[in-house]
Amino acid sequence: MAILSWVTRLGFAALISALPASAQNSDSQAPASPQPDLLIKGGTVLTVTHGVIENGSVLIHNGKVAQVGTNIAAPAGAMVMDATGKYVMPGIIDCHSHLALDNDVNEATSPVTPAMNMLDAFVNTDKGLYHALAGGVTSLLLLHGSANMIGGQAVVIKNKFGLSRDQMLFPNAPRSIKFASGENPKRVYGSRNQLPSTRMGNFEVQREALQQAKEYMRDWDEYNAKVQKGDKEARAPKRDLKLEALADVLRGKLLVQIHCYRADEFLTEMQMAREFGYHVRAFHHALEAYKVADKIAAEGVAIATWPDWWGFKDEAWDAQPWNAVMSLRHGVRVALKSDSNDVVRRLNQDAGKVIRYGGATQEEALKMITLNPAWIIGVDDRVGSLEVGKDADISIWDKDPLSSYAKVEKTIIDGEVYFDSSLPGLGLTHWKNAPMSSGEFEGSEMDDEMGIGEAH
Amino acid sequence: MNPTLLKKCSSRFREGHGFSRAVNSPAFNSALAAAVSPTGSNICNDDAEPKNCALAARLAAKSHRITIEKRTSAAKAVPVWNVLTARLKSCPSLNRQLSLVALVMLAVTAAPSQTKQKTRIATSQIEATAPIAIRGGKLLTITHGVIENGVVVMENGKITAIGPAGTTIPRGATVVDATGMTVYPGLIDSETNLGLVEVEADQNSNDLNEPSDEIMPHMHVADAFHSETQRIPVVRVNGITNAIVAPGTTNSLPGQDIFIQLDGKDRDQMIVVNDIALPLNFSAEQRRRAMPGQGGGGAAGTTRFPSTRMGLAAQLRQAFIDAQDYEAKQQSAANRKSDSSNNRSGGGADRQKRDLKLEALLPYLHGQKPVVIGARDGYDLENAMRLAREFNLKVVLNHVTHAQDILDEIGSWKVPVIVGPIYDFPRADERYDAVYSLPAELYKRGVKIAFASYHVEHNRNLPYAAGYAVAFGLPYEEALKAVTINPAEIWGVADKLGSLDVGKTANVVIANGDPLDVKTDVKQVFIEGRKISLENRQTRLRDQYGGVPPAPSR
Repeated sequence: MAILSWVTRLGFAALISALPASAQNSDSQAPASPQPDLLIKGGTVLTVTHGVIENGSVLIHNGKVAQVGTNIAAPAGAMVMDATGKYVMPGIIDCHSHLALDNDVNEATSPVTPAMNMLDAFVNTDKGLYHALAGGVTSLLLLHGSANMIGGQAVVIKNKFGLSRDQMLFPNAPRSIKFASGENPKRVYGSRNQLPSTRMGNFEVQREALQQAKEYMRDWDEYNAKVQKGDKEARAPKRDLKLEALADVLRGKLLVQIHCYRADEFLTEMQMAREFGYHVRAFHHALEAYKVADKIAAEGVAIATWPDWWGFKDEAWDAQPWNAVMSLRHGVRVALKSDSNDVVRRLNQDAGKVIRYGGATQEEALKMITLNPAWIIGVDDRVGSLEVGKDADISIWDKDPLSSYAKVEKTIIDGEVYFDSSLPGLGLTHWKNAPMSSGEFEGSEMDDEMGIGEAH
Repeated sequence: MNPTLLKKCSSRFREGHGFSRAVNSPAFNSALAAAVSPTGSNICNDDAEPKNCALAARLAAKSHRITIEKRTSAAKAVPVWNVLTARLKSCPSLNRQLSLVALVMLAVTAAPSQTKQKTRIATSQIEATAPIAIRGGKLLTITHGVIENGVVVMENGKITAIGPAGTTIPRGATVVDATGMTVYPGLIDSETNLGLVEVEADQNSNDLNEPSDEIMPHMHVADAFHSETQRIPVVRVNGITNAIVAPGTTNSLPGQDIFIQLDGKDRDQMIVVNDIALPLNFSAEQRRRAMPGQGGGGAAGTTRFPSTRMGLAAQLRQAFIDAQDYEAKQQSAANRKSDSSNNRSGGGADRQKRDLKLEALLPYLHGQKPVVIGARDGYDLENAMRLAREFNLKVVLNHVTHAQDILDEIGSWKVPVIVGPIYDFPRADERYDAVYSLPAELYKRGVKIAFASYHVEHNRNLPYAAGYAVAFGLPYEEALKAVTINPAEIWGVADKLGSLDVGKTANVVIANGDPLDVKTDVKQVFIEGRKISLENRQTRLRDQYGGVPPAPSR
């Protein structure tokens, strides 16, 4: 089984890497003035992929990790940052967030809204981004909410708080789309006496939409084939942004991120993906993953979950905090995510909890908030571990980050410091003291998936 | 209403629970019918679980102002339900038998108005337990330092000895080896919703708020506390043995708290102190304005009084004045009655109708019990404190998360503060740690602080809030105190709880490390000297699906 799942996963990985990465071509790649090299020296370096280096150093050149090890000499002109007694780890990555969308989380006017793009709602001045930065979070996947079976397309950002909107986009990150299932869609539309009001309705709505997309894709393929053959009479089908987005799902151009709690629904979602020929990238929340972890692993689907939230609604009632490690041990790639403006500030503590619940190793726990969420977003070749050639996205902590007691001293993105707790005031290096916006959810202390009130 | 359904539900409930005859009355039947389908809702549908029927019956009982208490022993196969008390002024619609019970109960409680608080002190009913000695662990006594390689002995529900290695262990004691472990007193959570809500989104299991009015001091959490909640066994295995249970915060005076221990064979054994305190909430949430994002209690699209702070304050002031007025009238009526009975004439003509709402406020107006003022901002706190001073209330502050502008003033008030949630968001343009650092800032000003986990999903995470406050400047020992001895003192139970001391209730936790760290695993919990099962709904699910497979060997 384990071998089989490995093979499946490798095959899947190959397929994904063949995806046209796309979408977020931002201006942020324009070469700025060359950065001086930066040497972070003398800390406990948690590389995530190749162990812990005591008294270790990380050399950053041009915003990338140039060397990781001990006894790295500072090149001429390099800035040296003394990290003696500190912990140095990759920046934390939150693969499920609704921050910085100014409450425009759900276009809850139809259960199928794949043409929505969260980029259109992205507000780069949200104070929540600052709070996350101060919690060591360097990249986030900002998702549509879970009111709709098929929601909108996500935006991936680097948390360069203080820079412009475009400069905060993660360059060339793959596109993701949010699907949902279960209680939220059926409650939102059921309460209006619309389809769907049951799980039967939920999946029928999804299947119907995918079927339309399949036909749309066929029409366009036929048209393109005719054009290819030089058919001057060929008439282009009408463009439909909704179906175009879904056709991109079927073509494998969008990573499918599915809000899903229950074991039976994982199976339905994976069945539907097989039926229509796409892949599910990750189940989000996934509180019952432990019940069918082997099947999720065999399909190469990751999960993004919480360690210990539970019972806020019926579909969260079978949650148990060993879920993350049980799923991991069955071969599932596991990430811990926040889905909360609150928890995003201390995902490091959530990672500590999986050591307690199930005995994850330090490296496994760290992966759940770095490399694994990076994989879910499709940027694990660029961020999520301290490896030569990767982006220098780094958080530096005063104590073991997997404890109750650690706080972030510095957050570094692409080799530049964006947060430094030792600075007076806010500790921000790029913020121009403009007013921050406060795009909290209604009932702001709760998160969007709590299922209370109007669904997000 | 489907009569077959009612019958099914009714009989299922009665048969399943051995309902006492007193409740088997026509009046109860009609109330049950109403509860089963008050507005065409399906509390009891064809697939109704017995628990839903039970719920309907409880609703019916409540509508008749009866407190039904479940008197069940875990060992017994058939739980027995009894009408234990029938409270409140009159029960004309109930049968005579019940009225008699009520009268007897009233007589037993022999009552000037405020003696009806059902107060019970834990130790009064502590059961005999066999001696247990925990040895070899690092003892965090809280009140007298750390004892490495120490010994704690418990017997008959209490701590009977504590000391270094070599402390005498009674013959026949069960010895628990805690070598390498940390041993500490059970943690105390100063606000939870335990037993008031099971699945929050499911209204049938949610008894948090009674939103019909803002002034509801006569709501008793004890009447809704569901001691068999699946949540308590989950929370206590994180080392939390005692907690305040408070109603939701929709109302300015939402009802009276209870203080519980997180184990017991029934509700009565779990309620350590009934009606221990009265929350007084003064924030945006209680204002009945229908504004998006305000979290107002008003129905969508409506605005009603009180929709402003002025309204909130005036309404509270009026309630307290009404209560004072009521008390004065009751007093003078009692005096007149006593005069007239001396004269053997008249009598009864001046009898005052009891008003349970106003009566509920009296012990608080007398300063006998604390009023827990919940406010976040400085100006709201000052408003609420002004009110509290006006009526000489005994105050415990709660939240205070955005009162950084008046910290010195808070210090000068000399009142304890339940601080948090420290995860409340800073305001825009505030430093990210403005709330995290609040416990440390209050401590520096001499304020006695305690932590609370508040929301039911987070109750097991109480210790981590205390730990996180340490990261932001609170001394570690103070953080520990803020979940042990400080809350014990604030809630008036420090003679029984909050430290490892001889004579205190044996609520003791053994863990594999620092109690406040997220990585620490609790290995054993004792409540009243009883070894508590570590099993709960979540461990059962874990085990049912094969448990955690071993890590691959490297």
